[in-house]
Amino acid sequence: MILTPKIVARLVVVGLLGVLLQLTFFSQVELFHVSPDILPALVVTFGLLGGSMTGAVSGFAIGFLLDCLLIQPLGGASLVLIAVGYAAGMFRERFEIHSRLVAPLLCAILTFAAELGFGAVEAMFGIHTDVSVLVLRDMLVQSVFAFFLGWAIYVGVRRLVRPALVDEATVRRTRRPTVLGA
Amino acid sequence: MYRKQVRRRRAVLALLIVGSFALLTITYGQGSNSVQRGVTAVFAPVSSVLDRALKPARDLVNWVDETFDARGKNAKLEEELEVARKEAVGAQAALAENKELRELVELDESGAIPTGYEPVTGNVIALSPTVWFSDLMIDVGSADGVQLHDPVIDGQGLVGEVTAMTGGTAKVKLISDHSSAVGVKVVPSGIQGIITPTIGEPNRFVLQFLNSDKHVHKGESVVTSGWHTEEIEARFPPNIPVGEVTHASINEQEAQGRSIVRPYADLRNLDTLQVLTGGSRR
Repeated sequence: MILTPKIVARLVVVGLLGVLLQLTFFSQVELFHVSPDILPALVVTFGLLGGSMTGAVSGFAIGFLLDCLLIQPLGGASLVLIAVGYAAGMFRERFEIHSRLVAPLLCAILTFAAELGFGAVEAMFGIHTDVSVLVLRDMLVQSVFAFFLGWAIYVGVRRLVRPALVDEATVRRTRRPTVLGA
Repeated sequence: MYRKQVRRRRAVLALLIVGSFALLTITYGQGSNSVQRGVTAVFAPVSSVLDRALKPARDLVNWVDETFDARGKNAKLEEELEVARKEAVGAQAALAENKELRELVELDESGAIPTGYEPVTGNVIALSPTVWFSDLMIDVGSADGVQLHDPVIDGQGLVGEVTAMTGGTAKVKLISDHSSAVGVKVVPSGIQGIITPTIGEPNRFVLQFLNSDKHVHKGESVVTSGWHTEEIEARFPPNIPVGEVTHASINEQEAQGRSIVRPYADLRNLDTLQVLTGGSRR
């Protein structure tokens, strides 16, 4: 992805909107007793479209904003989302993406990893209560949500930054062959 | 050229990681800092507007969830589902809000709110997205008289305490947060204990007894005891309803000195809350 100021502005708007929607909508709805978390999927999308640097920087920025708005210790969410964005970007740089399922699958896997990461950050500072195995079920359900929501997010963001994508196939108009003497 | 790019990429990544750790180290344990206050001041009005605008959509999704949940249950639950259905659909969102406010008033009139406390009503405007944290943000803050460690309740009972705030918003740590512990007593037996949550099961709290030879029984109520220790930071006034004992086997009580409590408040579905400001607990 070629990062022009216009494209960066679009990414910033998408990131801001993603965080606000997460806090005011997705975190407050439940399906099967679990709230979807779209932020790892959003960072994965940035990583897949822009590469490891875009993924890591967007992960840091989105995590920072999340921690600011929830008045949490700064840096915890950033740390996890940097890893998610960088991993998605590295995947894109190392492998060719042939299937349409790659983006949603990666969203699901890395959302699960992000939830483990959030748990690890919390564990770093000490968890003094019981942890139910149901937390794993919740994380798996969140991954399933991330598969479907990640799909939509990837398609939407890809469309939004299409002019900047270097691997976007140019639509060529078929031209009639020139017939000499006609 | 390529090596230079790789080196630059690694340097930026290292900088971001080191920066995150530095921020975490500096800000851990702080209530709120100027950066957070600034960002919150800018985004809180937007969050508030978005929160209100998206309420019908949220209610619809939550209604679908409740419908799935209620399937296969008995007639009594179907009756409740009918009520939930009425409350959930679009234009009736306001009706649900009124009901919550009425419940809060009822709790106030029932004497559950201790004397000397001034309730300040606020709406939930943001919730933490991961399964590990149990924090939420409400649209009242220090400008409304909210202070650190103020107790927060809903129409059913204790919800949590204020752990940070800005002028117009406050962060509430729910009693289901992994770092939460509340000093409680069981009524009418008067057995004292501490309840702690179970991560992944917001409706299951462990009540750990403190030196008691009495037994608790299923259905008995649990209220705040009013005391706190160095381990229990939360300073709740006494007699705020917390929950009821749902599992109280004699074996578990004698062997482990504990039983299971279900909170009165629906901690997964909070909308309108009251902060009990003032009081003489400090």
